[in-house]
Amino acid sequence: MWLYQLFAALCLAGCVSLGQAAPAWAQDRIRVVATTTDLRSLTEAVGGDLVDAVSLVPANFDAEEYQPKPQDVLRLKDARLVVRVGLDYDLWFDRLLEAAASREIRRGGPGYVDASWGIAPLEVRGVTVGPGDGHAHGSGNPHYWLDPENAEFITANILWGLARIDPANTKTFEANRQAFLARLSAKLTEWKARLAPLRSMPLIAYHNSWPYFARRFRLDFADFLEIKPGVPSTPSHLAGIIQRMRERGVRLVVREPREPERDVAFVAAKTGASVVVLAASVGALPGTSDYMQLFDTNVAALVDAAASR
Amino acid sequence: MIEALGFLWPSFLVAVCLVGIHTYFGIQVLARNVIFVDLALAQIAALGATVAFMLGHPAQSLATYGYSLTFTFLAAVLLAFTRAWATRIPQEALIGVIYVVAAAASILLIDRAPQGAEHLKQILTGNILTSGLNEIAVIVPLYLAVALVHFLLRQGLAQSSSLFWEFVFYATFGIVVTSSVALAGVLLVFSFLIIPAAIGVMFDSSLPRQLAIGWVAGILTSAAGFAASFAFDLPTGAAIVCAFGVALALAGLAYPFVRGDRVLALKITVSTVCWAVAALIAGSAIQLAIAPRADLPLIDMLEHAAPSLRNLYFTKTEAIAYQDADEYAERHRLAAEQLIEQERRSRTQGEALDEAAMQRISSFLKSYAEMRKGEQFVMSEVRARARERVRWSVSLGLLAAALLLAPLPWRRLWTRLSR
Repeated sequence: MWLYQLFAALCLAGCVSLGQAAPAWAQDRIRVVATTTDLRSLTEAVGGDLVDAVSLVPANFDAEEYQPKPQDVLRLKDARLVVRVGLDYDLWFDRLLEAAASREIRRGGPGYVDASWGIAPLEVRGVTVGPGDGHAHGSGNPHYWLDPENAEFITANILWGLARIDPANTKTFEANRQAFLARLSAKLTEWKARLAPLRSMPLIAYHNSWPYFARRFRLDFADFLEIKPGVPSTPSHLAGIIQRMRERGVRLVVREPREPERDVAFVAAKTGASVVVLAASVGALPGTSDYMQLFDTNVAALVDAAASR
Repeated sequence: MIEALGFLWPSFLVAVCLVGIHTYFGIQVLARNVIFVDLALAQIAALGATVAFMLGHPAQSLATYGYSLTFTFLAAVLLAFTRAWATRIPQEALIGVIYVVAAAASILLIDRAPQGAEHLKQILTGNILTSGLNEIAVIVPLYLAVALVHFLLRQGLAQSSSLFWEFVFYATFGIVVTSSVALAGVLLVFSFLIIPAAIGVMFDSSLPRQLAIGWVAGILTSAAGFAASFAFDLPTGAAIVCAFGVALALAGLAYPFVRGDRVLALKITVSTVCWAVAALIAGSAIQLAIAPRADLPLIDMLEHAAPSLRNLYFTKTEAIAYQDADEYAERHRLAAEQLIEQERRSRTQGEALDEAAMQRISSFLKSYAEMRKGEQFVMSEVRARARERVRWSVSLGLLAAALLLAPLPWRRLWTRLSR
């Protein structure tokens, strides 16, 4: 039985990969390659029907550890615009562009958009290790798309990129963007109101993905389980977290779907806290298929978890 | 402190259980000369778990465990055949092939099942720190059952190498490895398996005494690893693996003293240490003379341990410049940390910072990072220039020291010269 299931699974995997190998590019639409699902969603919000956007890193993968695949090269061959996160988050993209892309979409070309332009990075500790104008650009925390107000900068960067590629449609892009930002602004007021009761409720997270989210919604992330990516916690770090959780009465532990269940469950069990699974990217959880839904789902999850305590 | 001890002792008990069963299997594995078989079995178990993921079963569910176990049994059949097949190629080569193919197949499958990627990483590193009494309640009966089977079938297992007995061995071993790797990770399980057994085999030839030596060595070493992890704030699994490495080295060093001529062993040890230190110093001297600006590991380490050593070759101006840059670098770091902390507090306390204030903090942070980098550049440049200045005198001095330390027959040379 299992052999049959395995065979079925392999066939399915094969079909999926074939499906991705030949993306259904519409002939007249601007082909855009974004590194993450979040940027793809925001590109679609600005470009509307005029763009055909794909993202390279699948939802729920760690974009910082992504390894490009041969088909990514094919996707770039067709692309007229690329949109990346920057801030050393998707460093692998530089080498992919070097290897595969035309001059138009390389760094400095008209079709190259670093979505982090203009954003004030939080928690800048070192200097960037990426290529290019490394001097003025500190490597801050890269999860800036988790502040909905940063969408204004991100969509502006995308808009400029699209306007360079397709100047004739600039007005449409601008109208799309304004409509999107208006909807987002209305939603933001609602989200802020719903999360207001959590302001006095400290949280613990597995990975430090949430400073921008925390700043916008005035949440208090007291500590993080992970010291460095990929390094298991040390005894005193775990003990420190458990102690801090007890002192400050932390009742919620935040985990992303791809992060290890066991470590989070361990501290939650020790302190009687409950675990909330939040999506840090579009598509990481069911019901987060675009940028708006990403926040809808996360806000609902936090509010529910806080209410059930 | 107390809190950390509170959850260290259950995971130490887990380690004791793992040492208990793995030392026995380690002795068997060493006798059969199939050292890497546990890696192959662990990887096959991981492949089974990956397939379960792909079919939608949650991690740590009974179905996932069932898949792992089924895959492990299939691998056991395959491994049972490898001894018969290994006529022209060594058995270890076939085991290696099973390992790499299973690992590569999991990567191919994981590519389609994202939640499994973390699972694969966990298989490698595990996390013994967060395991405890719940896990012990599962593994103790399991390991006792496996041990009982091996005790009842000991004659068949020891004497016959027919296909059936080989299968029994690999299947029971697979059951143990599937559960232990999920707890402790491949690296730690490999250490538990091979190192206590190797120490036991080194010092005795009867199975009960090998087991006793292995158990004592394994439990003491695990305790040392846990203690080091606690005292120096290190990731626990990696600390234990390194402790096992040190334990094997110490056992190797102790062996000639226990089993051979002690005086001769002492002489050899002393002269080896002298030669090693002399070679290290001579190497550093040559490196300093050839590339004074490069990293000089020995000198850098000594300077790190005792910063006042720098004053031996720094001029007064250099010492002041170095000290200044060091202080400024630290000041910039602290200033940046204060700003980050201030921003962090403003997220929940008082008025929220507006965008302009945020932009200002952000550019201040970038400037501090740049300035700190500048100061660090000054420090390394001052040090490099000072080393360039003294390269010949210091390297000659170091070479002389190395020659003096080397256990050359100085007395005979001296009498020959004076004659």
